[in-house]
Amino acid sequence: MSLTIKSNLEDVSSKSIHQSKLDPVTFEVLKNGFINLVDQMAEQILRTCYSFVIFNRDFSCAMCDANGNTIMQGTQDISVHVGTLHLTAKAVIEDFGDDIHPGDVFLVNDPYRGGTHFNDVRVIRPVFYNGKIISFMQANGHWADMGGSTPGSFDVNSKDHYGEGIRIPPVRIWSKGEYLKDVANLLVSNMRIPEERLGDLRSQAVATKVGENQLLQLVEKYGIETILTAFDEVQDYVEFMTREKVKKMPNGTWETTDFIDMDPEAGDGLIPIKVKMTVKDDQIFYDLSGSHPYISIFLNSGFGAALSATYAGTKTFFPDIPLNSGFYRVVQTYLPENSVVNAPWPVAVTGFCSGAYEKIMNSCFELWSNIMPERALACSFNLEYLLVGGNDKREGYNNQYFMWYDWMPGGHGGRIDRDGANALTAVFGLGMMIQPSEGQERLSPVLTTKLEILTDSAGPGEFRGGCGVEKGGILQNIENTVMSYCCDRSRSITWGIFGGLPSIPHGVWLNPDKENKQFLGTVFSNVKLKNGDMFTRPSAGGGGLGDPLKRDIEAVLDDVIDEYVSIERAKKDYGVVIKEIDRDLDQFEIDVEATRETRQYIRENRKKWLEEDVNVVFEKYQKGEVDHLDLIRRYGIVLDLGTNTVLQKSTAQNREMMRKRSLSYWD
Amino acid sequence: MSKFRVAVDVGGTFTDVFVFNEKTGNISVTKTSSTPSNPEIGILDGIKKANISGNEISMFSHGTTVGTNALIERKLPKTALITTRGFRDIPEIRRGTKQDLWDAYIDVAPPYIRRRDRFELNERVDYAGNVLVEVQEKEIRTLAQKLKKRGVESIAICFMNSYINNSNELKTINILQEEIPDVYICASSSILPEIFEHERMSTTIINAVLGPKVSNYIHSLEEKIKEKGYEGDILVLHSGGGVMTSETVPKYAARLASSGIAAGAIASKYIANLCGFKNAIGLDMGGTSTDISLVYDGQLKITKDWFIEYGYPIGFPSIEILTIGAGGGSLAWVDEGRSLRNGPQSAGAVPGPACYQRGGEEPTNTDANLVLGRLSTELLDGQMSLDKEAALKVVRKIGEQFGYTDEEAANAILKVANANMCDALRLISVRKGYDPRDFALVAFGGAGALHSAYLAKEIDIPNVIVPAHPGVAAAMGCLLVDVRHDVSKTFVKDIQETNVEELEKEFMTLELEATNLLKQEGIAHENMNLIRYLEMRYLGQWRTLSTPIGRPIQSLETALNTFHKEHERAYAFLNPDQNVEIYGLRVEAIGVVPKPEIVKESPEGKLEDAVKSYRDVYFEEAEGYVNTPVYDRKKIPTLSVLQGPAILDQLDSTVVLPPSFTAEVDSYKNIIMTYKK
Repeated sequence: MSLTIKSNLEDVSSKSIHQSKLDPVTFEVLKNGFINLVDQMAEQILRTCYSFVIFNRDFSCAMCDANGNTIMQGTQDISVHVGTLHLTAKAVIEDFGDDIHPGDVFLVNDPYRGGTHFNDVRVIRPVFYNGKIISFMQANGHWADMGGSTPGSFDVNSKDHYGEGIRIPPVRIWSKGEYLKDVANLLVSNMRIPEERLGDLRSQAVATKVGENQLLQLVEKYGIETILTAFDEVQDYVEFMTREKVKKMPNGTWETTDFIDMDPEAGDGLIPIKVKMTVKDDQIFYDLSGSHPYISIFLNSGFGAALSATYAGTKTFFPDIPLNSGFYRVVQTYLPENSVVNAPWPVAVTGFCSGAYEKIMNSCFELWSNIMPERALACSFNLEYLLVGGNDKREGYNNQYFMWYDWMPGGHGGRIDRDGANALTAVFGLGMMIQPSEGQERLSPVLTTKLEILTDSAGPGEFRGGCGVEKGGILQNIENTVMSYCCDRSRSITWGIFGGLPSIPHGVWLNPDKENKQFLGTVFSNVKLKNGDMFTRPSAGGGGLGDPLKRDIEAVLDDVIDEYVSIERAKKDYGVVIKEIDRDLDQFEIDVEATRETRQYIRENRKKWLEEDVNVVFEKYQKGEVDHLDLIRRYGIVLDLGTNTVLQKSTAQNREMMRKRSLSYWD
Repeated sequence: MSKFRVAVDVGGTFTDVFVFNEKTGNISVTKTSSTPSNPEIGILDGIKKANISGNEISMFSHGTTVGTNALIERKLPKTALITTRGFRDIPEIRRGTKQDLWDAYIDVAPPYIRRRDRFELNERVDYAGNVLVEVQEKEIRTLAQKLKKRGVESIAICFMNSYINNSNELKTINILQEEIPDVYICASSSILPEIFEHERMSTTIINAVLGPKVSNYIHSLEEKIKEKGYEGDILVLHSGGGVMTSETVPKYAARLASSGIAAGAIASKYIANLCGFKNAIGLDMGGTSTDISLVYDGQLKITKDWFIEYGYPIGFPSIEILTIGAGGGSLAWVDEGRSLRNGPQSAGAVPGPACYQRGGEEPTNTDANLVLGRLSTELLDGQMSLDKEAALKVVRKIGEQFGYTDEEAANAILKVANANMCDALRLISVRKGYDPRDFALVAFGGAGALHSAYLAKEIDIPNVIVPAHPGVAAAMGCLLVDVRHDVSKTFVKDIQETNVEELEKEFMTLELEATNLLKQEGIAHENMNLIRYLEMRYLGQWRTLSTPIGRPIQSLETALNTFHKEHERAYAFLNPDQNVEIYGLRVEAIGVVPKPEIVKESPEGKLEDAVKSYRDVYFEEAEGYVNTPVYDRKKIPTLSVLQGPAILDQLDSTVVLPPSFTAEVDSYKNIIMTYKK
């Protein structure tokens, strides 16, 4: 199996204009009918699933053609699955060839075959007409647990997939309509709470059946020839539409670098992911050459997920194009072998979504922001999820196993004419719902102590990033309980563009207000917890866009009144000097003269700050003359929050990018 | 003597007044312009125009968009939120999602209460209802003074887990009422004691921001109508498909958030029933959008998953209505991939379709209908004329792109529009497990009957009903409802672990609350009707299904069987071996209000005499123009049978009866169209 993705783009490029064999009405009717069909599968899953992860909308569906190409994905599908579903359909075709029969249903979750990570389990059903395969219906859902050493199957200590959970290459689970109970049992017996997994399997399998029925009705009505023609034409249509739009873009090459925090085995040093984008006529080419070799932790990405990141990053700038293989024909991506963006079997990739994936996607945002400034978007907070698993000792809970599986919203990047969105779910999948604390408290012995917007969490800019939030909890009545976390960007902090500034680092704190306070970092697993332990974590705000010294003074005041920004940071980040008169009545006063002076002072010095000797600044920090946010936003200095020491190499890498993204735009 | 039942539906453009004469059974309909800044004026104008005096009114029923508009336009009183320390951002964090997943420049609407007006108190209750931190009187009084200083007019209180123990909320509300008695205050536990803080808090906030506004409006309307001599209660339509009196409006203000939209759905249910159909899909098609609702087995589908603006749910049960951007004014266009599209952009009222000659330069469905001869060049009894040349000119723009004649282009535009509506009809029917072949389509609104026959044919709905007054069906809906309240609570237990006695006790408590509400509204005991529901799901599942249960409860077996059956119908599978969990209890409390009885009419006159003229109308299935009779619908005798093709004109609507369709006019003047294969 080739791990280098070569597109067949040259063969089909600049195809003559989209000439439909179908009349425009039939075409439009069938195109919408296909979208409707896929959304109908989604509705079915939402209403019958068992995994709360799926219920909170971590799933996607697709209808693929007989070759496995995606004819249509759903309108509410999450970005991370985009552009991977055709790969798993093709994997089934590759493995089973002629041995696929009516009534068969297949399962696959293999990230080395185009899947994303083990938890994303795809149920694939071939659809036959007159004895021939015409389509594959696919439903992909994130199962809450796939076995392995850690609840939720996210083990940061696993360097390869063996410890992570169960890998499912294409496997038959219904054979000619007969349910293969033994195969299903073999799989779910390796997972926590197997009954729920069977429930998910069933929910997804029925959804693909719903898709099959709907398609056969369409065939009945329009005839097989028309439907098969429409399958091709819907893909051609999307390809044509995309090319028409890309044609209007200037030709050129743009490049940037984003970073994963570190390779824990290597220590200090950000892990570069390089993205070079070329627009040539009606084609888009991404070249990720120069990205770091794969690392010793599961933040690597398999090829499918990395491809998906470039598709999703592109799609964000063309939001009205429907999703199918026609789109993927226009986007060509080169992923260097054995790299952090194309990790081979059996390298661990389960945490790709917090690692390489979001770095590629945000890099795409940055690159496209240069071409389409009217849709510009600074970096958004990093996808994160925290998992606490153990025995529930509360009365009436019978010592049962609980899994508190939690992800937070955070700030999105600043935009060209407005601030980034506050407290939104991750760019990884904007349909993923935040869970209600009241629901969580019923299910698990974790009491949420706060879930609130974090003051000063937004990256400053003329248009600041959206605000991040903080969520804290306390554990009571627990036993054999451990905590794991999958995130990133405690060092490669969410950045600004066009002169904007970074926001704040991610990371979990244990017992934050106590003497035994401890920074656990952004990736860890199986940290033991005891009754009474407290934990908290912020989500980053979005990066800022544009020079913060140009931000409208009234907007800064509004932020101070709403406590999105503190009076102190209003002065330090925006140079706006505000005096509190009476907070109870929202009365504040802007000191215009002091603001002018402060802005002038910052303007004159800020370029120097980014060059200032790291050790000298750190000394000031230790003396309390500058604070942690100053280190990040003024000096570009990266700390190890666990040991509170400077990371020299990471700082140098970070400063270089900050000079490009921020400093070069300042007067 | 009072003999008129009056229903008023205040829409964005028109205020419709529907008057039913109890003595004669006659119906009269009046339209006046709405007066959005002061809707009472439009209402009183309409009543005056209808030529009846206040003391002749026996019942006054009202659907209003005052609440909807206030929310959308953010014309709200200064409102504060009080919540548990650490949670004041719940209304801003919501569930974190966006409606438009891909467009980073389309935002969710901002919260109704800004952060500066969201306050916290030290208090906490846990999942089981234990008070971990008791709220302190002193802190409440200090906060009350602060709110007073800030000039707060309304307050929403929502604490964590108050659905299971509301003692901290009650203490807070009591002390606040002492300190600032003039301020409107509502607490989440008395409005919607259900689990999930965002949904409960959102409902409470919407209740608080609407409370002062809609209460004032209703009271002011009541006074003005009393001055005219009306002595009864004003009944206000709410989203749940019932009415409430002005007494309960302050308590359940959020239920008025979609008062206007519910009316059409209720009318479609009534009309279907009148024609003998238990299952119906309502299609209310206007100028810019279409509202679709579904009646199954005589009941409108109810949802708890709805909002006026995305991200801000209202947790009260509401009639499930799907609104899509397809109407007479929807624009036809060709996208970059050369695909012919229709909507959701609309020409709206201004500039409107090209044929209105108000500056519209893009083709709309109305233009296409005019080109094909389906619409007359004269509308509203000649009060408005349409310019066919202008319509041809814009429709031609589409034709040129595909090499179509004008008629082929117009026909293609309508087929795409119809296909979009069919997708929406499927969404609410097939996709929810209902077979369209078991339904009738009730078509109303200004444009519904122009398209309905083709929609029905496309998705295999055997019958289309066009009511006698399609343009004002929504107003009629307001007259056809009972007083209704929904009282519910979260109650989580495996059905094996509970029993009839326990549930009976829980339901009794809910029913007491419900009957008290009805009593307050002057409903006599014999007119009260209580229906119980269990919200159930397979253990481990997330969504619940609402299952009716007997009163008193006979056995849990029956409820279980109904649940399995309904699960199979809705989701195509059941699993009798798996444990079933009860998740919530709900009581639907109905105060039966006497309904108007619409009289049957015997046939008068001859069908031939109803023919106004003949004109050429294009039908693709007839391969071109057909010389088609145009009927004056008023003059069509009841019990007539018409063969398509035919056009039926009336004041506010046009019915298209295509070839191969037959129409029967029943004794209530409804038209029932069927397709002959």
